[in-house]
Amino acid sequence: MSQSSDTVTERQARLPETVALHARPAGMFVRAAAGFGAEVFVSANGRRANAKSILDVLALGAVGGTELTIAASGDDAVEAAEHLALLVAELA
Amino acid sequence: MAAVPRQNGYVSLVLVSHSSEIAKGLADLVAQVAGPHVSIVAAGGASDGTIGTDGARVLDAMRTGAAGPGAVVLVDLGSSVLSVRAALGELSPEERKRIVVADAPLVEGAVAAGVAASTGCSCEEAARAAEEARSVAKL
Repeated sequence: MSQSSDTVTERQARLPETVALHARPAGMFVRAAAGFGAEVFVSANGRRANAKSILDVLALGAVGGTELTIAASGDDAVEAAEHLALLVAELA
Repeated sequence: MAAVPRQNGYVSLVLVSHSSEIAKGLADLVAQVAGPHVSIVAAGGASDGTIGTDGARVLDAMRTGAAGPGAVVLVDLGSSVLSVRAALGELSPEERKRIVVADAPLVEGAVAAGVAASTGCSCEEAARAAEEARSVAKL
């Protein structure tokens, strides 16, 4: 019925050179993550953040061009990881 | 999960500070992160514009928030809390049900509550997001 919750789906995504994961883009990212049931983490610069926590995501300090790893687990993990990876690449 | 059923629209934020500039500036910051759907009412400063709190303005802001699906109130220090408590006493029981005062740091709490509110959550959930700000490391 659903995939096991300990299966983690990972996707890489690179922030556009001119977009930091701050303020408005960070809000968009967290809002999108909150729309999924899956547990989602985003990593950058050796830090890992709960993708549904704006303060956690802001603390990543991910500047333009940073490579992010999105790791999702739970029912809609694949959709969540793919959707968020696309969103990151298309932030403007 | 939400104690209060969700209604149409988004819960709003009421920011209570001793300084009108802090309240207004924070409202601008939260609006940028949370997007256009979350309404944010700044209730900062004394009635003559000096540093202080204005009980009537705080009450108005909370009434405005309670008129919608609900509001999370964030406060800075000391007498802001007293003004909010006094205003709660003036609200009707119906209005009071739609107001949650978050025990959270003002800036981080407002950003967290604003983004949570922008996902369409209840005011209890938005207040919880604000209160989680107490344990999120900044560095």
